[in-house]
Amino acid sequence: MIKTMKRWALAAWLCLAGAALALPGDSVYQLDAKLTDQRGQAIKLDSARGQPVLVSMFYTSCQFVCPMLIDAARDTQAALPEAERRQVKVLLISFDPARDTPAKLEAMARERGLDASQWTLARTDPATVRKIAALLNFQYRALPDGGFNHSAELILLDGEGRVAARTSMLAGADERMVGAIRKQLAAQRR
Amino acid sequence: MGLASALIGLAGAAYVAMPAGTLNSVLARDTDREPTHVAAFALREKPVTRGEFRRFLQAHAEWLPGQAPAVFASPGYLRQGLEGGDDDAPVTEVSWFAAQAYCEAEVPGGRLPTWYEWEYAAAADATRTDARGDPVWLARILGWYARPAGRALPQVGGEPNVYGVRDLHGLVWEWVDDFNALLVNGDSRSAEDPDKLRFCGAGAIDLQDRQNYAVLMRVALLSSLNAADSTGSLGFRCAHEVPR
Amino acid sequence: MLRRLLLLAALTTSTLLSPSVMAANNGLPIIKAQLTSPPFVPPPTGRKTPAKVVVELEVVEKEMPISEGVNYTFWTFGGSVPGSFIRVRQGDTVEFHLKNHPSSKMPHNIDLHGVTGPGGGAASSFTAPGHESQFTFKALNEGIYVYHCATAPVGMHVANGMYGLILVEPPEGLPKVDHEYYVMQGDFYTAGKYREKGQQPFDMEKAIAEQPTYVLFNGAEGSLTGDRAMTAKVGESVRLYVGNGGPNLVSSFHVIGAIFDQVRYEGGSNIQKNVQTTLIPAGGAAIVKFTAKVPGSYVLVDHSIFRAFNKGALAIMKIDGPEDKSIYSGKEVDSVYLGDRAQPNLQAVASATQAAAGGKLTPQDQINAGRELFAGTCSVCHQANGAGLPGVFPPLAKSDFIAQDPKRAIGVVLHGLSGKVKVNGKDYDSVMPPMNQLNDDEVANILTYVLNSWDNPGGSFSAEEVKKARAAKPAATNQAGH
Repeated sequence: MIKTMKRWALAAWLCLAGAALALPGDSVYQLDAKLTDQRGQAIKLDSARGQPVLVSMFYTSCQFVCPMLIDAARDTQAALPEAERRQVKVLLISFDPARDTPAKLEAMARERGLDASQWTLARTDPATVRKIAALLNFQYRALPDGGFNHSAELILLDGEGRVAARTSMLAGADERMVGAIRKQLAAQRR
Repeated sequence: MGLASALIGLAGAAYVAMPAGTLNSVLARDTDREPTHVAAFALREKPVTRGEFRRFLQAHAEWLPGQAPAVFASPGYLRQGLEGGDDDAPVTEVSWFAAQAYCEAEVPGGRLPTWYEWEYAAAADATRTDARGDPVWLARILGWYARPAGRALPQVGGEPNVYGVRDLHGLVWEWVDDFNALLVNGDSRSAEDPDKLRFCGAGAIDLQDRQNYAVLMRVALLSSLNAADSTGSLGFRCAHEVPR
Repeated sequence: MLRRLLLLAALTTSTLLSPSVMAANNGLPIIKAQLTSPPFVPPPTGRKTPAKVVVELEVVEKEMPISEGVNYTFWTFGGSVPGSFIRVRQGDTVEFHLKNHPSSKMPHNIDLHGVTGPGGGAASSFTAPGHESQFTFKALNEGIYVYHCATAPVGMHVANGMYGLILVEPPEGLPKVDHEYYVMQGDFYTAGKYREKGQQPFDMEKAIAEQPTYVLFNGAEGSLTGDRAMTAKVGESVRLYVGNGGPNLVSSFHVIGAIFDQVRYEGGSNIQKNVQTTLIPAGGAAIVKFTAKVPGSYVLVDHSIFRAFNKGALAIMKIDGPEDKSIYSGKEVDSVYLGDRAQPNLQAVASATQAAAGGKLTPQDQINAGRELFAGTCSVCHQANGAGLPGVFPPLAKSDFIAQDPKRAIGVVLHGLSGKVKVNGKDYDSVMPPMNQLNDDEVANILTYVLNSWDNPGGSFSAEEVKKARAAKPAATNQAGH
């Protein structure tokens, strides 16, 4: 009982001390996930913290929806005014870490013309993939042929990693998503 | 003696060695109704109890209600607390993240069982590996669904099935690792007409065996939840790989 | 003073705009829907324009009696079976909140038949225990619609009582009536037999075989009988919103003793008139209207009648007020209707009855009728020829016993005779039971026949004489001895 109280006190003190750095309770970045990007570099899930970021999950062998996902993200960026375009990052995480090596991710990025300064294609271990999907409310399951059955959405995280908007509209840019991004950017400027 | 059911004792919790096998899952569409292959794995003999989870919290204060961030545990997480009540009753009101954290802490490589692993173990009764065709078995399970959830839960440690695993039915719902992969449309009546754009790949799951209400209801419950959620009837048990 | 004015204003506005108005939104007033538990119905919206209506409906799984001493775990919308009655107006925008109580074991959703949209809302309302879902729909069509849970396995959720009605009023409202009630039929499947006591679980095999244990109105036997019966007064108009949740059975809905002046069959816009029994499909509803004209207990049934009397499908509407004999008199006459008795030809009896009723009965009529009645009643002992059975039953033919005092024969037939008698020189000591099954006319006719047969003295008896003798003490006529 006392031990628990001491723990509580310690935690509270740490909380207060780190108040400036504390993440909100509903932030996806609460998950301390370690990823590898298409350049083979180790990154954390919260690497885009401080900026709004479009997140989704995919796999390189995906024929049907995943290409649309990339196009939708691109169209969404293009729908923003020039000045704001560079302020939004895109993070795509693979369901298929077994086959989506950094090299594979890099090849895909090159093929689709995705600039590494803005686009991050990442992989991580299966358990972490499952946790990220759970946080983002992504559904997926492996099929025997190596493909995946999965939901397809673009999710906007704000600077602190909270889900600000989601869209399942993949044909072109969803106006509401564009609006949500601009709102985030405007809030940050203040 | 039945099938190989050697108990692997690890840090006090008993795990059962489950043999590799095949399963005709109710989640059929993605496998075109072919049987699913399940590799050998170890499954916890009983669900995690309130006492066991309380001891976990003592060593992992970050999972105390109020400490765990909302994204990992929504309001309702351990709402009724773990003080008082029966230590040997299964723990409920725990989120998927909390359950995963417990399993990772209990055993090296610990995790929640996958849906297929759970379904494979749960298809068995005391004498058969697949009792799902038996209306008596089904009726007994449905009887549990009929009992309202208000009352205090009984202790873990019911009759073992043919593998030696206990309490897979009649006690609590249980989290699985890929609970969010069941891809059931919120309106299950439209499962014949998959919305291909919403679910890339084969579309929403077609529940193969509509007669198997017992399993259908588990799928329905799990697909209604998010990972941070918990309910008073939902507990969990752990699994881990076995060296080949 | 200002405070009082403000208070007055607040009170006035809340009554004018009841149920409570919260704020304006997009020009539409926001109204919180008033839901009711069966058999009651919310009052008419009374609105002439659309509104945004907020409906908050909670799912609760609870154990309740389905019959006396029999408990069942129902899954309910709003804590009742059927679920709460929802009332909106055509053109309303409905913001629907579905809450699933944290104590629930199951996830639930809702499909409202009045919703135009995928699954009737089911896809958008899949709700885990301890959660709330919200979706919005526009009530495009007026009518009476079923709502029900559509979570897999749907049949089980419906069989456990997850259904109710939503009324979308036409823009001009429904015509005014004195009473509105909410009745919903459902079939239930338990492992135990009908009225087998204890906690009964749902039986899936029976549900699939469509063999219900109970067929009930409003989820329980006795839910609408006794002091829970619906009530109305003579002269009042009654509108019933009648639904059928199923899951399997179609209802042949009938109110014993009433005729439906109007039926909006299938709950649609057309009205059928003067209907005795109307079909309500599973997952459907109808609106029936009738006027209470005569007092009494009117029984609502599913006219697939074994369901009413052996499975519980009955409810009562109790009508009070003055009688109107011109519409229904109650029993006026209780007279003998001989119908088709075992004897081959009772034509004479029928003629005699007719003649007697017309005051034109002749002794010959009586003899003819008496002859027919004698056969099979008296002839069993005294034989068709009146000879009796020597040593056992005395003869009636040329009987000195009768000749000495014909009138005492009436007493013998009415009150019986036991003990020693001497007839035609022979002793008899037997028991003749009183012929209680014969009425006055029959006794008179039989004895007239006996008097005029087999060399008996002749004469006749009237029904009045028999009536008098019936009232007299048996002792006076039991003087069988000498």
